[in-house]
Amino acid sequence: MNGKEQKFWNPYLAGVALGLVLLTAFLVTGHGLGASGGVYRVGVALLDSLAPAHVGHSAYLSEATGGGGVLDNFYVFMLLGVFLGGLVSSFAAGRWGARVVRGPRISAGARLGLALTGGIIMGFAARMSRGCTSGQALSGGALMSVGSWIFMLCVFAGGYAVAYFVRRQWT
Amino acid sequence: MTLPIQALAERWHEAALLTAGLIGFAFGFVLERAGFGRSTKLAAQFYLYDMTVFKVMFGAIVTAMLGVVLASGLGLVDLGSLSAGAVSYTFIWPMLVGGLLLGIGFIISGYCPGTSLVGAASGHLDAVVTMTGVGIG
Repeated sequence: MNGKEQKFWNPYLAGVALGLVLLTAFLVTGHGLGASGGVYRVGVALLDSLAPAHVGHSAYLSEATGGGGVLDNFYVFMLLGVFLGGLVSSFAAGRWGARVVRGPRISAGARLGLALTGGIIMGFAARMSRGCTSGQALSGGALMSVGSWIFMLCVFAGGYAVAYFVRRQWT
Repeated sequence: MTLPIQALAERWHEAALLTAGLIGFAFGFVLERAGFGRSTKLAAQFYLYDMTVFKVMFGAIVTAMLGVVLASGLGLVDLGSLSAGAVSYTFIWPMLVGGLLLGIGFIISGYCPGTSLVGAASGHLDAVVTMTGVGIG
């Protein structure tokens, strides 16, 4: 950590800012925010280029390749935007740097293995529940969708339930 | 004029995609500024020594909710068509199990799918790996 690094925003202010972004998304586009949908479609497109027969056989996967290719999708564009936004923000704040973020008691390799495991679980979960934290909990929650609130409470329940077992990773 | 601008989605497809990119940019920027690109900060929520995730999430939900209700009260937005476009149907069991699984994945990896993007954009290799995992899953 160097001394030039800026502080993070006040969480309440950041919350209001995030809410305004979400509100703009609702009013202008009629969609909420989403992240896992874009990652999913890019993943299916990659699979389609590696194993087109498999994607062709599965109706569920074929649906995601429909239309005019992977770039012809709302959530894929949003994904690119999220990436650029994070990049610009971290650079501007002096926070950018290639490193493995981890607690003091875990090796970088173990941290990366757990990161991959968690990612795979989440990718599967996000398809099952039709959305991740951004799409379901945040966007659906703000519109008082019952399923979204169930989902959000379950995310925190699942996290707290397992937190004890992976505490060595963080503290 | 009634928002959301339906014509944007139907007639100006490129403009809609560009808008999605711009909104995504703002989304990623705010997430990074809130500290959500760093797994140690996100994970801290689950050990209750940093409540940033709660504050930001519920701050955002309340803000957007008030905004939508206000806009609807002013006749600016058609709430029905908005929820038809932005909310998926409720499937109790998949959402329940999916939520639990996502929470487990969250604390193991230290990111949710959205924040792994922001983390990866900040150069954090653990986030790049998580993002890849989300794609595989």
